[in-house]
Amino acid sequence: MGRKAARWRRWNRAIHRDLGYVCVGLTLVYGASGVAVNHVRDWNPNYRVTVDSFPVPDASRSAGTDGGFPEAVLASVGLEGPVRGTFRPDSATLEVFLPEHTVRVDLDGKVATVERIEERRLLRRANLLHLNEPRGLWTYVADAFALSLVLLAATGLFMMKGKHGITGRGAWLTGLGILLPVVILLVLGS
Amino acid sequence: MRFRAILAALLVTGACRAAPPESGTLYGEPLTLSEVTPISAILDDPESYVGEPVLVEGLVVAVCEMRGCWMDIASDREFEKIQIKVDDGVIVFPMTAEGKTALVEGVVEVLELSYEEALEAARHKAEEHGEEFDPTTVTGPETTYRIRGHGAVITE
Repeated sequence: MGRKAARWRRWNRAIHRDLGYVCVGLTLVYGASGVAVNHVRDWNPNYRVTVDSFPVPDASRSAGTDGGFPEAVLASVGLEGPVRGTFRPDSATLEVFLPEHTVRVDLDGKVATVERIEERRLLRRANLLHLNEPRGLWTYVADAFALSLVLLAATGLFMMKGKHGITGRGAWLTGLGILLPVVILLVLGS
Repeated sequence: MRFRAILAALLVTGACRAAPPESGTLYGEPLTLSEVTPISAILDDPESYVGEPVLVEGLVVAVCEMRGCWMDIASDREFEKIQIKVDDGVIVFPMTAEGKTALVEGVVEVLELSYEEALEAARHKAEEHGEEFDPTTVTGPETTYRIRGHGAVITE
């Protein structure tokens, strides 16, 4: 009985240890991305968007997308082409698209806002993996990772014996961890 | 040796993405239609297109900042655009698509919003753009036509 238990514990420790090593990279990716995505309403986790305003004294309602007007607008905000395209959402607005900037001209207010979109390279890629944008084979890797976390949790319960183990302090802490989401769901009434 | 091979295969898998078509980047399912429907034609008589699969083409003029779950495509006619809506997380359009050209396949759908729903939709859109919400912009129930996108190819 004692030898059987010892062998079982050795296997439990080995699985927990080695799976833990394998999961470090993905845990860091999913953890960082998780925090970033949690705050998506307050902060763009994928892109850094900056907006600056400039006066455009020569803007007028009659200005269109032809006759060099977009280029003239760009010059007044310190940018130059190539212009990818232009769009008039309404008669008082002109949008000029450049590879890294979008210029929106309020033809009535004679003001242009210049929006610059920069990718947060590392976080964008972490989010891409976390949200399974690649799909295909990555789905299986993500599934394996999720199952590994379940296995890590299960083996983790039996890593320690005695008063710090699952029959002692571990039981209280495990209960706390299970209760936390339950209480929140009850409070939310879901 | 076998362990290293498995590890290498896993790393390669992580770097894999759906193969892009010959030109541009494919998002979602490959395009199957070949005939482009002008957006202006859809907007002229949207009811006759509801439920119909269409292929549209145009300049990307806006992208959902939060989740990349929609983008607006400029019409071939001034002052008009149409929204391409995709299921959250199924297709994610990058913000950097703004100003690029998109070829999108999907099904035209109609959204009939009550005043309260229209108010909420406008509030959500303002929030996404980081703009102050002005409730007076919504005056009553709204009917909106958009395309439920299944696949898109975005080119420079």
